Amino acid sequence: MEKDFIIAGFGGQGVLLAGEVLANAFMLDDKKVTWYPCYGAEMRGGTVNCGIVMSEEEVSSVQKSKADFIIVLNQASFDKYASWVRKGGYIIVNSSLAKKSDNQRDDINYIYVPITEVAQEKLGNIKMSNIYALGVLAKVSKLVSVESLEKALYNVIPPHRKHLIPKNTEALKLGYEYDLLKV
Amino acid sequence: MVAECVTGKKVLMKGNYAIANAAIKAGCQCYFGYPITPQSEIGEFMSGKMQELGRAYVSAESELAAINMVIGAVSTGVKAMSSSSSCAISLMQEALSYATADQLPVVLVSVMRGGPGLGNIYPSQGDYNQATIGGGNGDYKLIVLAPSTVQECIDLTYKAFYLAFKYKNPTMILADGLLGQMMEPVEFYDYPYPEIDTTSWALSGAKDRSARVIRSYAPLEENQCVFLDNLFKKYELIEQNEVEYEEYMVDDADFVVVAFGSMFRNVKSAVKLCREKGLKVGAFRPITLYPFPSERLNSLADKVKKILVTEINMGQMVRDVRLAVNGKVPVLFKGKGVGAMIDVETLVEEIEKQMGGV
Repeated sequence: MEKDFIIAGFGGQGVLLAGEVLANAFMLDDKKVTWYPCYGAEMRGGTVNCGIVMSEEEVSSVQKSKADFIIVLNQASFDKYASWVRKGGYIIVNSSLAKKSDNQRDDINYIYVPITEVAQEKLGNIKMSNIYALGVLAKVSKLVSVESLEKALYNVIPPHRKHLIPKNTEALKLGYEYDLLKV
Repeated sequence: MVAECVTGKKVLMKGNYAIANAAIKAGCQCYFGYPITPQSEIGEFMSGKMQELGRAYVSAESELAAINMVIGAVSTGVKAMSSSSSCAISLMQEALSYATADQLPVVLVSVMRGGPGLGNIYPSQGDYNQATIGGGNGDYKLIVLAPSTVQECIDLTYKAFYLAFKYKNPTMILADGLLGQMMEPVEFYDYPYPEIDTTSWALSGAKDRSARVIRSYAPLEENQCVFLDNLFKKYELIEQNEVEYEEYMVDDADFVVVAFGSMFRNVKSAVKLCREKGLKVGAFRPITLYPFPSERLNSLADKVKKILVTEINMGQMVRDVRLAVNGKVPVLFKGKGVGAMIDVETLVEEIEKQMGGV
């Protein structure tokens, strides 16, 4: 059974990197996986997303118009992707930058997390938003472990930035500890 | 970060980086190129790695220059390549015609994007004709290999260097923007093919032998006829020996869907879904677009009732399928101009609709 993930936000929020970490974690867990980016021609500020498909068997289609788990880091992505969530699926919304929807679908699960605020206040850097969100995803999806995501960081973060790994691991763990009942 | 390609270790990698890494492992000594989306990662990676390895990298002033630099390099018997995309591959057509006439082992990667003209940077399969029929002058053929997974980008890059040298013919790897940009786990292995002796033709310096010249100019009618006869004897050999294809559940199929490259991935899962519904559907993928698996398609047409060809273009490979099948069964077409591959649900619907009469 294929599981589809989308991570979306502004260029610069680390959307593609977060997707790469997630895809690497699936690979380390011996799953079949593909990662596919979509972005405009801008260097920063445009909308960007990536799709990750995880499967026990060979991954077929890469670009799909539905997903089981979607992380949206800004309002524009929330507006666009809420309708893309499969029935019974989850959307993790960065409530620091996106307003709670007035007409929520009743067939999907909304997880509102003030991702940017937590990254700033508890991790000391808004750049931690993407990895913190992955921690939340690990908890919500139960399809990937914090340990695999941590190992994946070593594959993705280049050697001259290895000193950032402990901080990112902390972000993953903090995300995983997020109290879903609070939502 | 581009993962390091240690033999036997699984790494997550983009198709473009997989091609570049495989070319290096295949022993490519020279890369000449000019950037264009969606294949710029190939040149970007080469610009660092080739220098590190003491090999040659030139960021050419144009695509025209790049491909002619490849011709110059391979004339000396070394492995060399360029990579580009659609509208810029157009600029290289003259050189490709010359390279076939000169019988030179040029390796060229074409990562297709939207066309015609400047088009856009979305994935496309609109250059099937450009690759297999060509835009250069005269009677010639390129060997054309079409991967459909990132792992196959590695396999077919190795193969491209081997076939180019084995047959002294330009060889193209025809990928698309989707394959170039997507990441999948891959495993590298050592270049598996034998090295081909080039001493009988390479321009390696005339020390202790008489001088040689490589050229395509043949002023006498008779000489040119002999040359072309020999060239086409070579193409016959290629057609006999090098056809490669993938089949999926065709054995008892009434209906076969044919696709190449990325598009085949969706076709395969559509076929899987149709099988779950009890429909006898199979899938067929030419891996070598030239030599085209015509014979196999023709014999499949004895067993199946209809064939559906799907491509991200307005109908190019479908002509080759029709020629292969030669009227034995109807060959239908489902295409899309550019962008995302036709999705699985649409394909299932189309198959069910077309199978109605089967």
